[in-house]
Amino acid sequence: MVQPTPLFDYHIGWKSKGKHPGRHKSNQRGMGIEFAGHTTLLSYPDPRRIDIRQSIRDPLGEIHVKIFNQRSATPVMIVCDLSASMNFGGKNKKINLAAEVAQSIAHSVIDRHDALGLIGFDDEIREDWLAPLSFRSQHAFTLIDQLKNFTSVNKSNRAIKDLYQYMPRERSLIFFISDFHMPEIELENCLSNLMRHHVVPVVLWDKKEYINLPNFGIVTITDPESGKKNTLFLRRELKEKIVDSFEKRRAVITKAFMNFDIPPFFVDQHFDANKMTEYFNQFVGA
Amino acid sequence: MTFSFPWILWFTPLAFIPLLFKEASLQYYSWNEMIPKDRLSSIIAMILKFIATLILLTIIIGLSGPHSLQREIEKTGIGAQIALVLDRSASMDDPFAGNNQSKVGEMKSAAAARLITDFVNSRENDMIGMASFSNSGMYVLPLTDNKNAIISAVRATAGNALFQTNIGSGLTTGAELFNKVPDSGSRAMILLSDGAGRIDAATQEKIKDWLGRFKISLYWIVLRQPGGISIFNTSYKARDDEPLPPQIELNEFFKTLHSPFQAYEAEDPKTLQKAIEDINQKEKKPIKYLEKIPGQDYSTHCFVAATLMMIALLTLKLIEVRSWL
Repeated sequence: MVQPTPLFDYHIGWKSKGKHPGRHKSNQRGMGIEFAGHTTLLSYPDPRRIDIRQSIRDPLGEIHVKIFNQRSATPVMIVCDLSASMNFGGKNKKINLAAEVAQSIAHSVIDRHDALGLIGFDDEIREDWLAPLSFRSQHAFTLIDQLKNFTSVNKSNRAIKDLYQYMPRERSLIFFISDFHMPEIELENCLSNLMRHHVVPVVLWDKKEYINLPNFGIVTITDPESGKKNTLFLRRELKEKIVDSFEKRRAVITKAFMNFDIPPFFVDQHFDANKMTEYFNQFVGA
Repeated sequence: MTFSFPWILWFTPLAFIPLLFKEASLQYYSWNEMIPKDRLSSIIAMILKFIATLILLTIIIGLSGPHSLQREIEKTGIGAQIALVLDRSASMDDPFAGNNQSKVGEMKSAAAARLITDFVNSRENDMIGMASFSNSGMYVLPLTDNKNAIISAVRATAGNALFQTNIGSGLTTGAELFNKVPDSGSRAMILLSDGAGRIDAATQEKIKDWLGRFKISLYWIVLRQPGGISIFNTSYKARDDEPLPPQIELNEFFKTLHSPFQAYEAEDPKTLQKAIEDINQKEKKPIKYLEKIPGQDYSTHCFVAATLMMIALLTLKLIEVRSWL
């Protein structure tokens, strides 16, 4: 039996400009319940919205109409890091986890009738991993399916600096799935270019990278992106240092994101959709 | 430092083959920059990188047999440079003359070998060389302070004897032992024979010259043959037309040498022992001699080092993590 994809609840903290009806606050006039103001029947000829109380109070006897904002759809982009570091994890690769997260996002987005797009990048923005924004985004789903079997070969994530060029013009919700194993300066440049959008960083870390390392032994690790080799004599002292280094890195990443008022969402080996719902409830003002 | 088989060193470039191959295991990590610097790890990385090369190097060097050169140390002791000149003629296999009861007794050569072995053992710092003679002189052992070699050489003479007695050749062979050997100040030649032989005039001159030049004092131990004439028998008068018996003639010749000469006559092992003891007493002077210290073989060290490194490498391989993902 196929497990149903877990869905999460998300909302945006700004008014969408989307004309397509949806579930998010918007500044489009329409059949909503959010009162926006009054105008005259002549300028907004909708007799169903005649405000009798306001019309009677008008000394000039003009007929007033209530204006409401409709709820609109908002564009959602999934940005997925396809660099070789996402291959980490043996059987349960990070890229698989990324596919799982992307699938959950995609289904949640379709559930909210929002538009969905997907971009994959490594050393360049991958044209073959590009699904343009759409309300019926079969292409994005196909790509997410392919993502489960994707293996990058020695690619880094240098195209992060070009990401903003491929984003929608209007403010969108961007789920940025990556392990964020990149220099901070690149991350900061990317985030400042994406400032007009609402970025939700999904930080994929694997416990096997630090806490679940073997307790003792010698291992030669290869950096998948640079090909550099390091021989480690793992023992308690070194492991503590590595865990420490990851905790420091977590603090550094969090600080880098918080400089842009973006709390990061850490995923350790297992993606919990409820946590994502909680994230939106906690950090995104309705 | 030299090598017994230097040509094996041509294989040295083979030792660097492991450096050309990269580690086979590919454990991909996510981002190596997350790993803090660790000195012990980098040391082990160096070891893993170079240990195979080092093992091969030590094996190749070990196979080529490195050893240090033989050294010579000058030592001062009490003793002499002694050349033993032993008779190996067939008559040495007979019993002593003094044993009149029966023909069965200790052979002259065996007794001589036994007593000389004792003599060699009682001397501390002598350099002893050996020559023997029968039909002609035989070079046996150069002057050496290696007691094992001397005793083995002496024992070898206790075997079956050969042919005739050619004393002249024996003496020249014995004197030759001193050639090109630094003079320690005390040189002696012990000539042990039964009977004697005639020496022609040319050889006599040669012997006289060499013994005088090399400053060799001569001790002659005569093992008297049964019924033979004693060399100390001065009353012996030969008949008119006959020459003197060879031993008396030889004794007379030896007395004319420029170097000291002493003759002993032995009739049984006891008198032989006395004669040797007498020589033992006389030849005790300070002597300077060179002791040879053999070169040391280092190939075992190389192999032990290689083994230890292999054990270390195996240990490191044993604790290598294959995969933890």
